[in-house]
Amino acid sequence: MASNKGKFEEAMEKLEGIVAELESGDFSLDESMKKFEQGLKLGNVCKGMLEKAEEKIKLLVENEDGGLEQKEAPDEF
Amino acid sequence: MLLGDRDYFTVTEINREVKAILDQNYRSVRVVGEISNFRRHSSGHLYFTLKDAESQLKGMCFRGDAGRVDFDLADGIKVLVSGRLTVYEPYGQYQIVASRIEKAGVGELEQAFRALKDKLEKEGLFDPEHKQPLPAYPFKLAVVTSPTGAAVHDVISTVARRWPCAELLLFPVRVQGESAAGEIVRALERLPEVPDLELIIVGRGGGSLEDLWAFNEEAVARAIYQCPVPVISAVGHETDFTIADFVADVRAATPTMAAEIAVPELADVLENLERMQATLTQRMRGAVDLYKVRLRELLRSYALGQVRGKIERYLQAHDYAMDNLQRRISEVVRTGRVALTHAMTRLQGLDATAILGRGYSICADFETGAVISSAARAAEIRDMRVTFKDGSVLSEVKEKLDGKQ
Repeated sequence: MASNKGKFEEAMEKLEGIVAELESGDFSLDESMKKFEQGLKLGNVCKGMLEKAEEKIKLLVENEDGGLEQKEAPDEF
Repeated sequence: MLLGDRDYFTVTEINREVKAILDQNYRSVRVVGEISNFRRHSSGHLYFTLKDAESQLKGMCFRGDAGRVDFDLADGIKVLVSGRLTVYEPYGQYQIVASRIEKAGVGELEQAFRALKDKLEKEGLFDPEHKQPLPAYPFKLAVVTSPTGAAVHDVISTVARRWPCAELLLFPVRVQGESAAGEIVRALERLPEVPDLELIIVGRGGGSLEDLWAFNEEAVARAIYQCPVPVISAVGHETDFTIADFVADVRAATPTMAAEIAVPELADVLENLERMQATLTQRMRGAVDLYKVRLRELLRSYALGQVRGKIERYLQAHDYAMDNLQRRISEVVRTGRVALTHAMTRLQGLDATAILGRGYSICADFETGAVISSAARAAEIRDMRVTFKDGSVLSEVKEKLDGKQ
């Protein structure tokens, strides 16, 4: 899965921006429609990111080469 | 030589003069002594006398500073008072106004803690400008703590409950004992290598000052300060403060609270998304409605009114035409039906011609053309068409005769 780092926040901010724009601005029907579609799309992208990702707990261990290894956490966590 | 009144200080003047000297020269003094005559005024200010074996000094502490005293003040306690000297003019009494009151005779650890805290504070490690903002929606975060303590469990369960879409990495370290500080430092140095890591929670559950000591080590403080990934500290319970807490980008009172600060509530975020989308839809509808209104206004305008009139006339003409058409269709249908009846009658008549030749005649209702085959039926009508073999006559039924003749 591609990294979500910052992407979600960026999409949220864009969406918030569009909502604010549509709430305050007076656009042509065409522009409004474009923004509306873009906003809905962004919202769905965000929702998708929240649904796709699932809870993952991993244990970080330093191996002999000095690298960081990610292991599945044992069940007790 | 006698001096005039003007050459004497008034009491107010001399007190004011002494006050000015004290205010200017003893702005910051530290005095160690024992508390006596301790009194907490209803205003919240503290009044007390500091004394040692041979002398006494009046003291007070304003409510704001009194709130920061983190132990119970009482007579007999040895304290370190930091503050300024001044004169309370109405009584001509000099006193110390404490800005900080600390317990004297604290242990070595506490002194080391204070010394390090002062040092790092002066260096600017606690400066708010250096604090990194936390990501609003972290999808990958790490916990640096003991894999066996309650803290790790608290963080994991809280994150899992609030924000299950996050990936949680556990970097296991010892959190007390000789090697603890070194392991925590190592974790903070290594973790930034993890791609896309957005946030680190470092901490442990509560304990004694000795138990928490690793989080008061200078090396740990510097590692937190230098960590490029934002760090939330979560050491002990609400009341335990460590150096790590001061350096961290955000201090959480407990590991559970650290997790609550670290991640948002999924339900809230989803609700926010829904609401924004609903707002968009509503706005869009609003925009469409607005254009409808505008369109209607345009239609009402004069120029279009001209065209509209024409259209309306056309429409009306069309309606008339339709009505006419309908009427004609009905007429055709009705005429057709009448013609059919006549034709039927004629057909029946044709069948009958052979019989007519033999002297019989056929009676029919003159109006409808229906053949009448009984005297009773004939008595009900007036005009009757009687058909013979060579033609028919209109006859009138006068009355029904008795009998079967």
